[in-house]
Amino acid sequence: MKRLHGFVLVFAAAGIASATSATATDLEQAMAKPSNWAAQAGDYANHRYSDLKQITASNVGQLQVAWTLSTGVLRGHEGSPLVIGDTMYVHSPFPNNVFAVNLKDQSFKWKYEPKQDASVVPVMCCDTVNRGLAFGDGKILLQQADTTLVALDANSGKVVWSVKNGDPKIGETNTNAPHVFKDVVITGISGGEFGVRGRLIAYDIKTGKKLWQAFSTGPDKEMLIDPAKTMTWTNGKMAAVGADSSIKTWKGDQWKLGGGTTWGWYAYDPKLNLVYYGTGNPGTWNPSQRPGDNKWSMTLMARDLNTGMAKWVYQMTPHDEWDYDGVNENLLVDINFKGKQVPAVVHFDRNGFGYTLNRDTGELLVAEKYDPTVNWASKVDMKTGRPIVDKKYSPATTGPDVNVKDICPAALGSKDQQPASYDRKSGLILVPTNHVCMTYEPFQVEYTAGQPYVGATLTMYPTPGSHGGMGNFIAWDPAAGKIAWSKPERFSVWSGALTTAGDIAFYGTLEGYVKAVNTKDGKELWKFKTPSGIIGNVFTYEYDGKQYVGVYSGIGGWAGIGMAAGLTESTEGLGAVGGYKDLAKYTTLGGSLFVFSLPSRSGSSNVTAQAE
Amino acid sequence: MALALCSVAVNADDGGASGGKETAAKETAAKQAQGSTALYQVKDGNKVDPQTLMGWKTWRALACERCHGAEQEGLVGPSLVQSLKVLSKEEFHSTIMNGRPDKGMPPFNTSEMVNKNWEGLYAYLKGRSDGQIQPGRLSPIE
Repeated sequence: MKRLHGFVLVFAAAGIASATSATATDLEQAMAKPSNWAAQAGDYANHRYSDLKQITASNVGQLQVAWTLSTGVLRGHEGSPLVIGDTMYVHSPFPNNVFAVNLKDQSFKWKYEPKQDASVVPVMCCDTVNRGLAFGDGKILLQQADTTLVALDANSGKVVWSVKNGDPKIGETNTNAPHVFKDVVITGISGGEFGVRGRLIAYDIKTGKKLWQAFSTGPDKEMLIDPAKTMTWTNGKMAAVGADSSIKTWKGDQWKLGGGTTWGWYAYDPKLNLVYYGTGNPGTWNPSQRPGDNKWSMTLMARDLNTGMAKWVYQMTPHDEWDYDGVNENLLVDINFKGKQVPAVVHFDRNGFGYTLNRDTGELLVAEKYDPTVNWASKVDMKTGRPIVDKKYSPATTGPDVNVKDICPAALGSKDQQPASYDRKSGLILVPTNHVCMTYEPFQVEYTAGQPYVGATLTMYPTPGSHGGMGNFIAWDPAAGKIAWSKPERFSVWSGALTTAGDIAFYGTLEGYVKAVNTKDGKELWKFKTPSGIIGNVFTYEYDGKQYVGVYSGIGGWAGIGMAAGLTESTEGLGAVGGYKDLAKYTTLGGSLFVFSLPSRSGSSNVTAQAE
Repeated sequence: MALALCSVAVNADDGGASGGKETAAKETAAKQAQGSTALYQVKDGNKVDPQTLMGWKTWRALACERCHGAEQEGLVGPSLVQSLKVLSKEEFHSTIMNGRPDKGMPPFNTSEMVNKNWEGLYAYLKGRSDGQIQPGRLSPIE
């Protein structure tokens, strides 16, 4: 965290206004203590890794329920609670209630129950997930579904400030967690299926004053792109994007409905002062209706925290034909690449490729399939950075009203929002994945504000000719671009992973199991069946000398609609063996938090103290 | 993003199980189809008159399946196979135009396509409810 004085001077001399101080913020101090889980990923870098090691590969088999809590809401529960000191901050799907829980006795310190107009729900059609809270500057940040961003006093739950960053009447909603980096709160927007124009928005954490806003499509000025300085991978090297890099890749003013929404997990590198995030699909799923590369949808962005200016961009899927949003999380890891230490960013895209780029310069280093059955592209051309699309699986080639079959992965991607975890000990990344293929039939649609702007009919089913399941939990080597091991799962693994210094990785399944596996080989060490499917992220903390592991149990999210598709598509002759429809055999709706720990031995406090 | 997420369909009713009623409904619809005031015309279960075809296209364009299911069997929204057995044309019209905001159904009165084709959409859904029109893609009667 410590910055060299020389660097500070250089920045000042360059005239870059820096609101950030050299001293650690309260969030940074909280994140530095492994007893806390102070940010959704536990840190700025999206590692989801904990130094806690009371629970290890050898004793995790004894894990048992310590306590539980009901959120009172029966919808999809994504994200995880936060833990700071003796308080846990729990959130719920719409209506987005927040509870501050005293860890001493699980009593509520305060509750915040916002009144939101229910008319926002159909625009989210139809699950009402919320990916969690953020902490910073003594505040708890809540991004409500209705696009209101609220800062609550962490001690009292009282509203300190509140701002509106979108308009549900035109289909703009929020599902993302706000992120706090230094003294800045970053949030995004959802609504890629309603023709909204995606953007990232930054607010001053002290006052809620808007600092900057960067659109994903449109004129350079509105995108905070400098045509001469913003770089992208071009013919094997970095080059400036040039003027109107977005507008030139759209027909007419279609960029205004361009999508490129921003509902993922963001990351921040304090040394480079860069924020990393991905943009979603371009507006309308009918590719023939929007010729061009549709920049900068489906793009990984690196922006300056203070100014929002884009340092570099990289588009994973030009001219999307499959709904392969680029929003998935970016993990900031330092790797040894061909004998050199490289500050890297690793990104598992919906399109089935795992990318490694230099996070400082934006150079493309690795792009390999993290599911070998991915077939829409044979590979990524490392010189151009573009995928080599297989025409057989290209709805843009066959055109509207033609049903293209057996495209892998399905629109929900080889991975969706469920975040991966970087095991700092082994250097492996543990990735929860989908193993699902689809048929895709695009058709012409007209835009009406606030109405769905989709334009494709899809069916999804387990990857044919594989293990019959719809998911895998894999370990990935980011420098080599190779799968180290892969553990098949019956359903998509829609839950975020956690790795710990105890050499274990945790994740949840749609049937409702929370599982612990050995990080080095994927061997299952422990599992527990919660009442509902798990789409939340596993987290860990320590309280009163004891390590706890927790996760939300409450099925929903896109996996829910996948189930529905499974229920009805048997007429298509695709069969539903192992499909989402089987979920009905295993689980039902829920809304609870489960917290686990090792059993207390008799006279535990003494024994534990000695053992420590 | 994600075409989101119609919450869980684990417990969605399968709308198809109407048994003997379906046969009776088929006969009624067949009679209607023969008359000059037929609500919809259908051949081989998947070829329909131009108005009904536009109704299906409207269904598709407004992404109604996200809440009502690919075969109208219901997800977070109700089964339209069932609803259309009891809903009058007037009630259908006011529901689609004004929505049922308290239940999560949005109003579609701003959609030009719905304003133009709501009667065709009613005919299409009636045909689905009657068991005369098959789920999935439709084409015009030659």
